[in-house]
Amino acid sequence: MAGELAIEAVGLRRTYRTRTGWLRPRRGSVDAVRGVDFAVARGELFGLLGPNGAGKTTTIKMLNTLLTPTGGTARVMGLDVVRDTRAVRRRIGYVFGGDRGLYERLSALDNLRYFAELYGVPAREQRARIGALLDAVDLTGREHERVEGYSRGMRQRLHIARGLLHEPDVLFLDEPSIGVDPVAARELRAMIAELSASGTTVLLTTHYMAEAEELCDRIAVIAAGRLAALGTADELKHAAAGRRVLSVEAYGVTDAHLAHLDALSGVRDATVEVSGQQQTLRIQTDAHVDVQPAVLRELAGVRLGRVETRAPTLEDAYVAIVNSTRAEAAA
Amino acid sequence: MRTLRLLTVGGVIAYRALFNWTTPAMFVGTLLVSPVFQLLFFVYLGRTLHVGDDLGYLVGNAVLSAALACVYGGTMAVANERRYGTLGPLLLSPLRRAAVFGGRALPYAVNGVLISAFTLTVGALLLRIPIGVRSLPGLALAICVGALSCSFFGLTLGSIGLRFRDVWLVSNVADAVLLLVSGVNVAPAALPPVLRAAGALLPLRHAATAAREAAGGAPLARLVPPLGAELGLAAGYALLAIGLLALFERGSRRHATLDVL
Repeated sequence: MAGELAIEAVGLRRTYRTRTGWLRPRRGSVDAVRGVDFAVARGELFGLLGPNGAGKTTTIKMLNTLLTPTGGTARVMGLDVVRDTRAVRRRIGYVFGGDRGLYERLSALDNLRYFAELYGVPAREQRARIGALLDAVDLTGREHERVEGYSRGMRQRLHIARGLLHEPDVLFLDEPSIGVDPVAARELRAMIAELSASGTTVLLTTHYMAEAEELCDRIAVIAAGRLAALGTADELKHAAAGRRVLSVEAYGVTDAHLAHLDALSGVRDATVEVSGQQQTLRIQTDAHVDVQPAVLRELAGVRLGRVETRAPTLEDAYVAIVNSTRAEAAA
Repeated sequence: MRTLRLLTVGGVIAYRALFNWTTPAMFVGTLLVSPVFQLLFFVYLGRTLHVGDDLGYLVGNAVLSAALACVYGGTMAVANERRYGTLGPLLLSPLRRAAVFGGRALPYAVNGVLISAFTLTVGALLLRIPIGVRSLPGLALAICVGALSCSFFGLTLGSIGLRFRDVWLVSNVADAVLLLVSGVNVAPAALPPVLRAAGALLPLRHAATAAREAAGGAPLARLVPPLGAELGLAAGYALLAIGLLALFERGSRRHATLDVL
């Protein structure tokens, strides 16, 4: 089985040491990843979901050799990430989201030429490979422009081309669609799906549930540094099985309202998402309980919009998993 | 072959990517015009105070003019990786760090040589100070060796910049210290012992000595001791820079101390 695995993490752990103050420094430690186990098969597209600070990026940095684990082991393509660092680096690509990570004053072409040198792409193959990648990420014709003038979507596509220059067996994509507009995000998803179809193992972290559900063969949810759930999207939805969701558009819901709603009989979880002035309450309840009248009573005086009841989605399952893990960690 | 390409092609691309003063206005203003005025200042100061001779100031300050490009350039060659968030992708390179970073010093050394040659030529023309043709090979050698050691010194500062955000403060001080202790404008004998010792361990003093001897008509054989000392410093700073980079990279993997993203 080990030979079939692209990534294998066993009891992976990372503790950061912290220090604040100079005259009387206070030292502490933060457990960012607390013993994570998972395995990714070769050619699999594996999703790693979790809230901010859950330990996703730290996990990826340990797998791609930028950080040494403080506990446990990790292997990529059968190679130990601590002992076989350089060999692991030859086999992996790393792409992260955001504006940084490219040489702004250089053109896309020169960025790729430089990273091709850095990643040991043979000189005679560079021209053809860079040309093919520029085509694949739809930057042909713009390759001579300086990156400082690129949109975020173009930068993200260039990031992906950079990550693929040395034809890695495993590609780590750390929130690649962050801040990318919907059209560019769709193109990005198509590109990731093509990569996976061509046999590249992909480990993808994202905050977008639809993206994870559309792309990933399996999904792991990390919360509070622990692996909270692992399975296919359908399997994860079982975390919200036996529930239904009351969704309420509102304007002016306070923390006190939320606490009262959370305490209602039959309510399993109540969260609020804010978008501009509008709030969207998501109240997960046991399927056989109708809490709508009680909820509307609690929200008396609050301006309300659309109210609907629906079956749980992957996002609802994710929220349920994360909240229950946080509650366990706090207990 | 791969290493050679990384040293040369990679070094030149990295220079274009990371050197802040490549725009024509910045390059001409900062790296060409400013050193000429510094040279003129010290020649006229020497004349006013009746110390030294024009040729000594001219040649010494021409060698010193490489410091600006080499010290700041070498620093930018590494420390600017933080600015662009490219340190992570760079550190994921499977190639040896000596090849990745060693080549970065070379374009700055070439830059320094060109600036020194420009400053020397313009200074000699403006001040009408003749330089003998037979002095030129020795002068060229001294300028090249001085620029190389200064670039590796800059690379060492750049390595420190990976770990400490305010490395530009160190570069500013280093540039001023070189002006004082390089023996170009203040005779080493006039300096306190600590500064004299610092001058011997910092780049350019030996190169400036060799340049002055060459300008004075000394044969190449007499330049070997000072140029050998300067080359030794260049090798020492190159090793120190690579050692610091390796140390900080290893420390970063263990303690997450570098801004890799």
